Amino acid sequence: MSTALFDEPGPKARRRIKVATVAGALAAVALVALAVRQFAANGQLDATRWQPYATWPMWRYLLDGLWSTFLAAVVSAALAMALGLVLALGRLSHRSWVRAPAAAYVEVVRVIPALLLVYVVLFALPRYGLDLLLFWKLTVPLTVSNAAAYAEIFRAGIVSIERGQTEAGLAVGLTRFQAMRLVVLPQAARRVLPSIVSQSVGLLKDTSLGFVVSYGELLYSGKVLAAYNGLLIQTYLVVALIYLVVNASLSKLARTLEARQPSGGLSPWRMSRRSLP
Amino acid sequence: MKRFVAVAVASLLALAACGESSSPAVPGASPQQSEALAKAPVADAAEILPGSTMEKIRQRGELIVGGSLDAPLLSQQNPVSGEVEGFDAEMGKALATYILGEPKVKIVNSASETREALLANGTVDVVFQTYTITEERAKQVAFAGPYYTSGLTIAVKKGTTGIAKPEDLNGKKVLAGANTPAIPAIKKLAPQAEILTFGSDPECIQALKQDRGVAYVQDETILIADAKKDPSIEIVTKPFTEDPYGIGLKHGDDQFKKFVNDWLKKIQDAGVWQGIWKNSIGTVVTGEAPQPPGIGSVPGS
Amino acid sequence: MPVLFEHLPELWQGLIVTVQLTAASFAGAAVLGVLVCALRVSPVGVLRAIGTAYVETFQNLPLLVLLVLAFFGLPEIGLQAPPLATAIIVIAVYEAAYIAEALRSGVNSVSKGQGEAARAIGLTFGQSLRHVILPQALRTVVQPLGNIFIATAMNTALAAAVGVVDLTAAAHRVNLVEAQPIPIFVGAGVAYALIASVAGFVTGRLERRLVILR
Repeated sequence: MSTALFDEPGPKARRRIKVATVAGALAAVALVALAVRQFAANGQLDATRWQPYATWPMWRYLLDGLWSTFLAAVVSAALAMALGLVLALGRLSHRSWVRAPAAAYVEVVRVIPALLLVYVVLFALPRYGLDLLLFWKLTVPLTVSNAAAYAEIFRAGIVSIERGQTEAGLAVGLTRFQAMRLVVLPQAARRVLPSIVSQSVGLLKDTSLGFVVSYGELLYSGKVLAAYNGLLIQTYLVVALIYLVVNASLSKLARTLEARQPSGGLSPWRMSRRSLP
Repeated sequence: MKRFVAVAVASLLALAACGESSSPAVPGASPQQSEALAKAPVADAAEILPGSTMEKIRQRGELIVGGSLDAPLLSQQNPVSGEVEGFDAEMGKALATYILGEPKVKIVNSASETREALLANGTVDVVFQTYTITEERAKQVAFAGPYYTSGLTIAVKKGTTGIAKPEDLNGKKVLAGANTPAIPAIKKLAPQAEILTFGSDPECIQALKQDRGVAYVQDETILIADAKKDPSIEIVTKPFTEDPYGIGLKHGDDQFKKFVNDWLKKIQDAGVWQGIWKNSIGTVVTGEAPQPPGIGSVPGS
Repeated sequence: MPVLFEHLPELWQGLIVTVQLTAASFAGAAVLGVLVCALRVSPVGVLRAIGTAYVETFQNLPLLVLLVLAFFGLPEIGLQAPPLATAIIVIAVYEAAYIAEALRSGVNSVSKGQGEAARAIGLTFGQSLRHVILPQALRTVVQPLGNIFIATAMNTALAAAVGVVDLTAAAHRVNLVEAQPIPIFVGAGVAYALIASVAGFVTGRLERRLVILR
């Protein structure tokens, strides 16, 4: 919040704000009411159409899907972070033959849609005899694409650590590798933690591509349910609600972590890469 | 650090491994067997030839079937019981009963483009998934059967006029499921139709009701079920294609193909096939079970 | 390779749709993003809350879910648009949340003194945003906005879920017929890379032109 932009409102302004708030709220309520009425007029609010979602088995089925979502997200996040760290160190290497391929990987992967990668794993690889299990058909493309994003986050974190830290490490007789491992990385890791969490929320959203692979994650479970009960809109509304609650909690965690840091976050990359699906 | 990495990798692999076995596949052993399945025959020990695919399956203790989870009446997962139900699913269980003596089936969800690969590398033993027999496909997989014949038909919103045959779709917006045989069929019979595809049947129905297309081309069985659930939809033609569904097997495994064909013959003679039909498709289609198609009657089978 | 030339018309049509989707939804997202950002830094509590709710909602839902929900759900409340238009609107609304956040961090990066100086010479909230804060904020956010543009281009691939035949969907369809995934998907990948590199080039130029020497 940049408070420098305005003064504490005076009595007149406060009154105006109050009036505007009430008017705005009324307008919003009216719009929502109109939408809900139309929605109900189309029979979408009928009790029979919502009743299944008041029963435990439906929720259990969706929560099973959520569990698979978590599993896919956790596995691909872990693999992508490991690969990302290697890539980040590669890009910061002093040897050009290490630096170039790492940079090329990051620059190329970041301009390929994750869906296209999924298609490659789904259709191209089996033709060449590599038919992965369903779980990996989702996690491999996600790992490949998110590794580039994590690499950039790690790199930003490492670069943000003052040179003096490495130099001090070298001065006390550590090798370059030791200085990186014992001095720079632990500090960098703490600094990039919020970005890592945000990126991981993005990755969790990406697992919805399981819909295409027919891996039983949350969105695909919604698809199976909709085929079973024919309640397309209700089912997807419930699915959306689950995603919202889970991801909002994770985002909240990221903000809490960020608030605990002395020096703000680092960010351009985080903002952009989070906007994957 | 090294130790940490090693532990992390190990636990990850463990996690991933358990993910595989539990999530994409659906454990099948059915607690309450349907009446039809109770009558399903079991193979004589002599028929399970040593070194054959059947023996391998028997040693494993379960039949791995490539199928779907979201095809109502054919192979649809029931979220309440976790059980996969429908004509294709029951056929899989009947085959498992024949080989193992009990309907132990694991369904591997296979997107339609990957079935050939799944069979070729042995991930699944058989495919029961509205797998139309074509000579093109028969070059990559072997087909037992056909075990059922279906066809495409056209559904519209009640009251729509001017659509009575596939050719009437020319110049109109037509809905179809992504990657279904409807797409090439429409292209052939009504080349000027504009095709709009969606990922699943409920989405196509919703799109039809919202006038995003005037007609929806889909397998007759599925459309009959849809029309039953939703009175605002009607079917306007008899099936205009003939799609013989085969049981996908590994290419070149003639021994297993003969075994499966023999089984198919037996369950048809014993009335099990008809019972399975009654339990699934027969719940929406009135009348007696149809005559099953002749085994090996189609080029490619 | 010949397979690409044989199907050039379809793939070209797909590319055009992808470019349309990207350009239109990014333009929409930019306008909407500025508005949402203004809400988030405004003096009125309710407006701030609305801005926050907007960002929280759209950053925490998968785009795929939003697309399907909007495409099938909105007609039920009386709002129906063709597939392409629906996809453009949904992607614009979704990316606007990210643009708003990028702009906000830009606004926060402008030193406090600038805002105070603006108010000291009598500019209102809107004026100081428009004449003093945003022009400076824009400079620091050129790069992040470029990244959001690239992400937008990548995300348009999901429009296929609501029946839009974009480049990815076109490539998929061609592959179903031809079964030559490698040249087809690599070709599509190169096309996306070209779109992204245009963005990289433009942001590079912009950054150089907007740079302030202090």
